Amino acid sequence: MRNLCFIIGMLLTANSLGAHELTPTYPKFKPSYVGGLASTEMTMFNARKDVEFYQLGVFDAEWNPVPFASSEKLLHVPHATRSTFDVFIRDEDLRRAVYICTLSKLRSDIPSNAIISSKICSRTDGTR
Amino acid sequence: MKKPSIYAAALLLSVSASAEEAVIEGNVLSKCIINTDVNGVYGNPSPDKLSTATSDGGVQSVIRYDVALADSYIARVITPTSFSTSPVLNDVVYWDGSTSVGEVSDATMSAYDTNKVTYEATTEFDLTVAGSTWFNVTSVAEYGYNRALPGGTYRAIVQAECIAK
Repeated sequence: MRNLCFIIGMLLTANSLGAHELTPTYPKFKPSYVGGLASTEMTMFNARKDVEFYQLGVFDAEWNPVPFASSEKLLHVPHATRSTFDVFIRDEDLRRAVYICTLSKLRSDIPSNAIISSKICSRTDGTR
Repeated sequence: MKKPSIYAAALLLSVSASAEEAVIEGNVLSKCIINTDVNGVYGNPSPDKLSTATSDGGVQSVIRYDVALADSYIARVITPTSFSTSPVLNDVVYWDGSTSVGEVSDATMSAYDTNKVTYEATTEFDLTVAGSTWFNVTSVAEYGYNRALPGGTYRAIVQAECIAK
């Protein structure tokens, strides 16, 4: 049974289409060089061969969008590359912002017909 | 003639040795990684039905979650409730879906299936153990009342989320 699980695991890993990763899990905002704004640095790694673009979003605890600024809101992260970016939030929105998320943007020409979209969210208000 | 060729060979070797240096980079941080191991395929077991279930001739979607820090993330899998691509459909589509734990890297993760929370098309798993968990996702779409689905390409999207808690 163990051997069977191992073989299945190996087969699944071999067929892996790739991974989506966002760090850190609990980012901390600090005052930025622009007055009235706080910023934090995030890093994304894309190992998905079928995805090159990721949408960046900031949300409150009820998943309502929170205004933010970044160099790009649609991140271009080619396969097997890492992208580091800053997220800026107004001081007045700092207590409201809870989640920073990246969502994969899928191309319409992916050959499979049950496609997987991935979304990872870090939490800005720290651990519970 | 021999000496210059030895010098040339030595020079070439020294150059190739420096050119073969490779940098391997990695991060060890608390994080969640979503691996799309298998995109599913809909089988068409009857004229009015599309299904990724193996018994219906389909291929289940398989998503692996790797968590480096225990009890820090919630895995949320949302099965499709509409097609992202399809021919024009004049009748309603009834959707059904399920997500279950497949393989696990730690035996205690098998409790995820018992403790999962399901609402509408969403299934939530509390990732309380560090390691890898494979989730199998099944999606079923049935068209109208015994009406045949029009010919064409059908695509639907499974959403896999990893939310820090």
